[in-house]
Amino acid sequence: MLLLKILPAGLAFAILQVALRLADDADLARRLKAREPKAMNDLYDRYGRLAYSLICRIVRNASTAEDLVQETFLRVWNRVQSFDAERGALGAWVLTVARNRAIDHLRSVDGRMEAGAIELDHLERPGLFAKLDSAALAMDRVRRLKSAFEKLTPTQRQVIELAYYEGMSQTEMAERLKQPLGTVKTWTRAALKVLRDELAEAAIA
Amino acid sequence: MTCQELQEMFELYALGALEPAEKAEIEAHLARDCDNCRQALSAALALNAGVFTLATSVKPPRRLKRRLLTSVGVHYPGWGWVWALGALCLLVVAAWLGVEERTRTYELADARRALLESDGERDRLTQALQFLSDPQTRPASFGRGQTAPPRGYVFLHPQMGVLLIASNLPAAGSGKTYEMWVIPKGGTPQPAGLFQSDGTRGLHILSGPVDVAAIGTIAVTIEPAAGSATPTMPIIIAAPIGS
Repeated sequence: MLLLKILPAGLAFAILQVALRLADDADLARRLKAREPKAMNDLYDRYGRLAYSLICRIVRNASTAEDLVQETFLRVWNRVQSFDAERGALGAWVLTVARNRAIDHLRSVDGRMEAGAIELDHLERPGLFAKLDSAALAMDRVRRLKSAFEKLTPTQRQVIELAYYEGMSQTEMAERLKQPLGTVKTWTRAALKVLRDELAEAAIA
Repeated sequence: MTCQELQEMFELYALGALEPAEKAEIEAHLARDCDNCRQALSAALALNAGVFTLATSVKPPRRLKRRLLTSVGVHYPGWGWVWALGALCLLVVAAWLGVEERTRTYELADARRALLESDGERDRLTQALQFLSDPQTRPASFGRGQTAPPRGYVFLHPQMGVLLIASNLPAAGSGKTYEMWVIPKGGTPQPAGLFQSDGTRGLHILSGPVDVAAIGTIAVTIEPAAGSATPTMPIIIAAPIGS
């Protein structure tokens, strides 16, 4: 309580929100594991729109997005038993599964899967999200990321979008942008540093 | 590569965007239980998830939730009850409107009928007034001195015809009607039209030219509703027309 008196009201409110959300997510994960009928309803209410928006951004087709959102939530439902309800970041996991389903779809359409593209399955294992910063999707972090994203140069933004929303490797980006691989790597590294630094500042503040 | 050098690659690794050689190198570090690398991976996953939320927000269609919950065997109440309630309300409103419409139709028909009747009544009264006000009209009375009804007057006009006004004239009865007869002097009764009493009064007009001088009697009998070709006894009204 003393902490709440010292902190500015806005920050105190943000912390409180994060705490409540984390408690909610842990409880929701427990209910999902217990197969409570309403848990899936709550999971969708909490992350359905975010997942749908992300998938729409990637596949740019509403009907396909609906199929992929369903696939995403079914995958979470089927694998939630391996998820650490107490320490895991549920939202980050759901969105990662959603993004990977959409990228898998893009790759299968483009024929990139056959070209030896990296299998994404192992990058969304529930165990990976056990020690994650649970506040990954806290409003303050998201706001800072958004502002950092706007600070990127057009080329930096382009490589970030190709990596996150097109699922391209840096070699594929270099081909797409008709730039040397080294240049693309520099742009990507610089862009990620801007985002990372912004979040680090948020953590210090 | 050292752990430090790998730090900048974890976001791309988590996105599956590294080349196979780079990926293998990171996985080798992770396999050694390198704490730095594990923390870096967690931070990268968190950063990536944050970036995923930056996509423009799009509202998913309502059916998606229903479809999803159904697929995992969860009953989805959704808004079905609202639609059902809405449909029920519409049904009630439609039924009420139907009844209202039917009532209105009946009322309209009644009003139209009343209007027509009132128009007919007005025409008859206008015609009767013309009869009474014309100097050529010749009156005759009936029922005087009788203790039983009916009583009244007959008016004859060479162009307009015959007007009969009766008081104390009871209703003809169910399925019956009053029929007026024009009986020429020394001739057989001629049908002169059907009419009803309102229970106490009756008014009937035979329109058209008549030979007043040739008429001996104006009579009225009670006949079946469709009328008769010859009068049925008894004669209810007999108004002799004097020469």
